Parts: sequence; structure tokens; C-alpha cells
Amino acid sequence: MSLSAAYNIINSAFLSNAAQSAAISSNISNASTPGYSREVANLVTNSYGGSDVASVTRETNAALLEQVNASTSQAASEQALAKGLTTLAQTVSDSATSSSTSGSTKNGNSPSAMLANLQDALTTYEASPSNVVVGQAVVTAASSLASSLNSGSAAVQQVREQADSDMASSVSTINSLLNQFSQVNATIVSGLATGANVNSAQGTRDSILTQLSQQIGISTVANPNGSTSIYTDGGVTLFNVTAQTVSFTPTTTYTASTTGNAVTVDGVPITGASSPMPIHSGALAGLANLRDTVAPQYQAQLDQIAGGLVNAFAENDQSGSGLASLPGLFTYSGATSLPATTAMTGLAASIEVNPAVDPTQGGDVSLLQNGGINGANYTYNTTGAAGYTGRIQQMIASTSATQPFDAGAGLATSDSLSDYANTSVSWLQSQNQQATNQVDYQNSVVSQATAALSNATGVNLDTELTNMLNIENSYTTTAKLLTTVNNMFTALINAA
Amino acid sequence: MSASFVSTSYLGTALLPSIAQTQSQLTALEVESSTGQYADLGLQLGDQSGYELSLKNQNELMQTLTSGNGLVTTSLKTSQTALDSIRSSAQSVTQSLTSWTSTEVNSGATLQSVGANALQSLIATANSTANGQYVFGGINSSVAPIADYFSSTTSAAKTAIDAAFQTAFGCLPTDPAASAITASQMQSFLSGAFANEFSGANWTGNWSSASSVNTSAQIAPGETIDTSTNANQSGFQQLAQGYTMLAEFGGSQLSSAAQQAVASAANSMITQGTTSITETEAGVGATLQRVTDANSSMSSQMTILETQIGNLDNVDSAAIATKLNTLSTQLQTAYQLTAQLQKLSLAQYIPT
Repeated sequence: MSLSAAYNIINSAFLSNAAQSAAISSNISNASTPGYSREVANLVTNSYGGSDVASVTRETNAALLEQVNASTSQAASEQALAKGLTTLAQTVSDSATSSSTSGSTKNGNSPSAMLANLQDALTTYEASPSNVVVGQAVVTAASSLASSLNSGSAAVQQVREQADSDMASSVSTINSLLNQFSQVNATIVSGLATGANVNSAQGTRDSILTQLSQQIGISTVANPNGSTSIYTDGGVTLFNVTAQTVSFTPTTTYTASTTGNAVTVDGVPITGASSPMPIHSGALAGLANLRDTVAPQYQAQLDQIAGGLVNAFAENDQSGSGLASLPGLFTYSGATSLPATTAMTGLAASIEVNPAVDPTQGGDVSLLQNGGINGANYTYNTTGAAGYTGRIQQMIASTSATQPFDAGAGLATSDSLSDYANTSVSWLQSQNQQATNQVDYQNSVVSQATAALSNATGVNLDTELTNMLNIENSYTTTAKLLTTVNNMFTALINAA
Repeated sequence: MSASFVSTSYLGTALLPSIAQTQSQLTALEVESSTGQYADLGLQLGDQSGYELSLKNQNELMQTLTSGNGLVTTSLKTSQTALDSIRSSAQSVTQSLTSWTSTEVNSGATLQSVGANALQSLIATANSTANGQYVFGGINSSVAPIADYFSSTTSAAKTAIDAAFQTAFGCLPTDPAASAITASQMQSFLSGAFANEFSGANWTGNWSSASSVNTSAQIAPGETIDTSTNANQSGFQQLAQGYTMLAEFGGSQLSSAAQQAVASAANSMITQGTTSITETEAGVGATLQRVTDANSSMSSQMTILETQIGNLDNVDSAAIATKLNTLSTQLQTAYQLTAQLQKLSLAQYIPT
């Protein structure tokens, strides 16, 4: 060994100090960057006894990252659903007001509360049937019920429109993320082939995957050449060597009979009933569920309530000539007959109080008491007696009488109108409650998983500081060594 | 790295979610302590929302029924008072008839005036109204049930009775020729052609505009009852018949024997009428009792319903106060810990 060899060793010590310092600096500066994985400079002893930086590696934990992404997808899906359901629940949130003592008016505007108000108004009308003012109160209550159904239906369709446009922006985010992913992935593959440092590219790729899992549930497969393939959680390929195009045609206007378009990947639908491999999580899945399943089901319930109302208040033939029953107090645009339970789609949007009994539209309130909205053949009170309450009693009874409902709405197929309306509120509130609880739960899962990942791969400043002090000491010592060796050379040269 | 490794970013933010959650719980508690109800009832009740709504609806229906029963009670009490006055006036007519003899001076005129007064008062009382509705009209409550017998244009009833008398005896009661009518002839007329004027189509055509169908209303959930009587009850017909006999034939040209027959026929008819009216009155009293019972039963049901609604909607104020304390302690601890953790850095302890 010679003094020159000592010089070489000292030189390599400076180089590895610098590399370690660089790793520590990078770690310290990214201590607060979410998802950053700390770097470690790995040292090895070289052939002449010095140290070399063999590699700079990232601390990774693929399993935990997968867990973070999966829980992010679940949370995003539940959040999208809960957002829509909360909007819908606002339309029936009369539970928030205390039971009023006035007896005839109630805050809130759920069809159920409005139906109860109508029943109350009819009961009052029954006690004084010849009182026109009381009769008008019935018409007013009926109008409120009709507009409650109209606005409920409008809210449902607005939620669907919003979901549809959110889906469109989600799809464009996914496409843009897939493009970024494609570039970063190519950088990593070529970097690994040439032995370049791809740590920062790998960090970017992980962060893109986490962003992607916000929008759509994914699973990833690492390939031997360092590239990563992405599949949806339903199994459709999103990225394998090249990015697939996710397509979606938005629908701007929704009615009860509108079916939204499915999101497709390379022609394969990944949302909707026709999808062979549907996605299960991510904002896209939640939005599609809201748009295609939950909101339409509530719409169907509103339609059933509206149709049930038209049928319950229908007028029967009183002339004995076998005429068909026709819509009475409640009718709908273009009505020529009573609706069948299977053909009530969209009724909630078009139900209205019959103009024939509405004084504001030139109607006659007394037709409520006497019948005859559809002409003389449908008049119940043929003598015109002022105290006649038979028809009013029939109307009161009809709201609590059992009638058939379509099974497609997901509630009872045979129930009274008021119970059905109550059950519908229960259904909506319980969906909202479940979704909200799920959001809370999934959010805590995300923070647990993120904490675990952060602890496994993140930066601890104290550790970095300790390492830095070590390096500082090592640098000081190396510098001292250099001075000493230099002194020895100087002594040698002076001696000569 | 070892299992005890903690990243600095997690150390600094570990308590953030907990702080946010505590704060949102605190805002909910603020609402709850001021309203006494859950901040978001729908969210709290979930699938019980419909049940809670049905309780509220039931409660409100009973409130509506209770206030509607006020109207029913007014109308029934009016009927009761009217029937009471009809009965007592009938009883006083019976008393006058018992002490009446055909031999005293102006005996016929006395009969006539007793009958006419009683008939007028019967018609006026039968046309009593409550809340603008004729209480004895049945469902035809907008028309006075009994037509005025003594109206200035001769009433249909009087015309018909005169015609019947004319047919039977060939003269009017005021005609001197009427004095030839015997007591037995008079008796058979009164129980025959005259009685026919107070039943069936003659009654509904000439006397009564009331409907035989009574008004009915729901007084409690599922309990519908007749809330009126009507002037087509036999009591009204019998009294009208008895009074009309006196009014028409009392001061007439009839012989005193025939007058005696009129008085005794009237007496028996009015006595029957009094019995019928008493029965009707008893029926009205029973109905009133049902309304009162329905009200008190609904009132106790409403108390139960309100308790149940309260159980669902209301928060326990003591629990809220305790929860508020716990949460604010928790929040303070979280703040303190976060501040302490920020200080814990090796960098602070290295001399520069």
C-alpha cells in the first residue's frame, strides 16, 4: 500500500459522502411530500479498500401501496354515491322539524308529509263539506303534493345529470392520467435498461396510480422489464404497453325514461347492466351506480306514488252504463285513462291537480265534494245535497286502502298509498345513512393505509439528521485524514 | 426499516383527522343542544324515517279530527237543545189539552191558538242552524228542512190539507156547513186522509226538504258516525200532525163533539210524537258521548304518539352536555399534543 492509495480512498470517501448527502437532502426536502418514498444510498467496499455508492434505491412497499389505492377507490366510489344521496335526502328532510301543533301545515316537502297534509285537509273538509274555503284548502294541499312529486322527480334527474357530467370529467381525467402513465412508464423501462436512476420517475408513476384509483378501481401487474400493466378491478385492460382509450358519450338532459350511456374501454362497457366486466370501485363506479341504479329506483318510487295517487282519487262511473274510471283530483298531462302500475314511468314529473277543480285555473271546488270532474256520469251526489260527504269519505279511505305497486320500484307490491310514501322516505334515508357511514368508514381505512405506507416508506427527519451528523463526522475525519496524508507527503518531500 | 419507524409527515398530521372529526361532531352537538333534536334526523333515523313520519302523520290526523269534532259537537248540541225545546213545548201542549174541555167559552179558539203557536215554534226550532248549516236537514243541510206552514202565499201543506177536507166533507172547516160533521166522521178523516198528509211522498213533497240521509263524519281514525238527525223522523211528523189538527180544526165551525174528537186525536198524536222526539234526543246524546269519548281517547293516543316521536327525534340533553365536555377535552388534548410533537425535533437540540 502506498500513500497514493490512501489519497484514492480519501477521494472515494468524499464521493460517497456527497452521494449520501444528496440522498439525505432529497429525503429532507420531500419529508412532507405525500407518497414520497425515501431514498437510501447503498455503499460497498471497492477493490482498493475505499467505498463506492453501488446504487440509490427507493424504500417501497408494493402491498401497502396497493392497499392505499384500493381503499382510495372504495372511498371515492362511496363518496360519489353519498353526495348524490345527500342531495336527494334534502328533498325529504322534513324530519328535521318538530311535529307542528297547527295540524294542517308541516315544514319540509316530502311526498309523504304532503300526502298527510292532504288527508288532514280532506278530513277538515269532511267536517264542513259545504265550506268552499275548506274545499280550496284541499286543492291547495293537493297542489303542494303534486309539486312535491314534480320537484322530487326534477331533483332525481338533476342528480343523474350531474352524475353524468361528473362521469364525463372522470373519464377525461382517466385518459389524461393514462397518457402521463404511458410516458413515465416508458422512461422507467428505458432508464432501467440503460442503468439510469429512475427513482423519481417511479415515484411519479406511483402517484399517478393513486390518482387513477380515485377515479376507477384498478389492479396492477409489475412486468420483468420494470413496466407496469393496469387493469380495472373488473378485469378489463387499461394499460399494457400502450394506453387503452376510455370513451364515454355524455347525455345532457335526463328524464325518468332516459338511460345513460355506458363507459367503454376499447369497446367493452365497464359500467351499466350490459357490462360483462363491470368496475366495482372508484368515483366512476359510484357515479354510474348513482346514475343507473339508485336514482332511477327512487324515481320509480316517486312515479309509483304519483300513479297511485291518480288511481286512488279516480272517479268511477255512477250512471250504471259501465264507463271506465277516469282520473279525478289528480291527473297527468295527456291523461285519457288511469295508468297501469307497470306504465307509470315519468308520472311524478307530470302529475298535476285536475284543472276542473282548481279555482285558480277556473275550476270548481264543489266537484270535489260531489264528484263529476269527468262529467255528469261521474257525479256521486246526484241530489246536490250540501251536507253530502260520501265522496270525500271515499277519497279519505282511498289513501289508506291497499293498492298494487310495481315490484320494479323495490318496495312492497301491495300497500296503502300513505304507507308506501313513508316506506319510500325510509328507503331513501336508509340508503343515505348507509352511504354516509360507508364514506366515514372508507375514509378512515384510507387514512390508516396511508399512515402505514407513510411509516413504511416515508421520511423521519430525526433519522435523516442523525445520518447527516454521521456523514458530517465522517467528512471531518476524512478531511483530517487528507491533511495528515498531505503533511506526511510534505515531510517526505522536505526531507529529500 | 423496523416496525417502530414513524415518518415525520405522519407524526405531524396523525391527529389532523381526529381534530377535524371532533370539530364536525362539535358543530352537530351545538345544533342538537339548541334544538333538542338530532342535527340530521334523516341520517340518524335511516330506515326508521318512514316510521317516524307515520307517527307524526297519525298525530296530525288526530289533531285535525279533534278540531273537526268541535264542529260536530256544536251541531249536535244545537240539535240537542232544539229537540229539548220541541219536547218541552209538546209536553206543555199535552198539559193544556188534558185540562181542556169542549164546554168552556171560546174553547175552539183556545185549541186553535195552542196548535198554531206550537206548530210555529216546531217549524222555527226544526230550522235551527249551526255553523250556517240546518241541523235537521240531513245531508241537504243548505235548505230549511220544514217549510213555513203559515207563509203569506198559502203553503203547499195547507193547500193539500184543505183539499183533503174538501174531498172528505165537501166544504172547508171554516164553512158553517162543517158543523154537520159527526165525531166519528171526523175521527176517520183524521186517521185516514189527514194522516196521509204527514207521511211518505206528501210529507217530503209538502212539508220537508230534509234528506233522510244523515250527515256523517269521521270522529276518530276509522270511526265514522252519523253526526245529525233529520226532520223526516216520525217525531216531527207526529207533532206536526197533532199541532196541525188543532190549528186547522180548533177554531172551526165543527160541532163540540167533533172538536172533542179532534182534541183527543191530537192529544194521542202529540204524546206519540213526544216519545219519538225523546228517543231521537237520546240518540243525539249518545252520539255526543261518542264524540267526547273519541276526543279523550285520541288525546291520550296523541300523548303516547308524541312520546314515541320524542323518543325518536329528541336527544338527551344530559348526554349532550357530557359529550360536549368529553369532545372539548379531546380537542384540547389533540391541540396540545400537536404543538408538543412539533417541538420534538432533533434539530432543536443540536448546537449550531
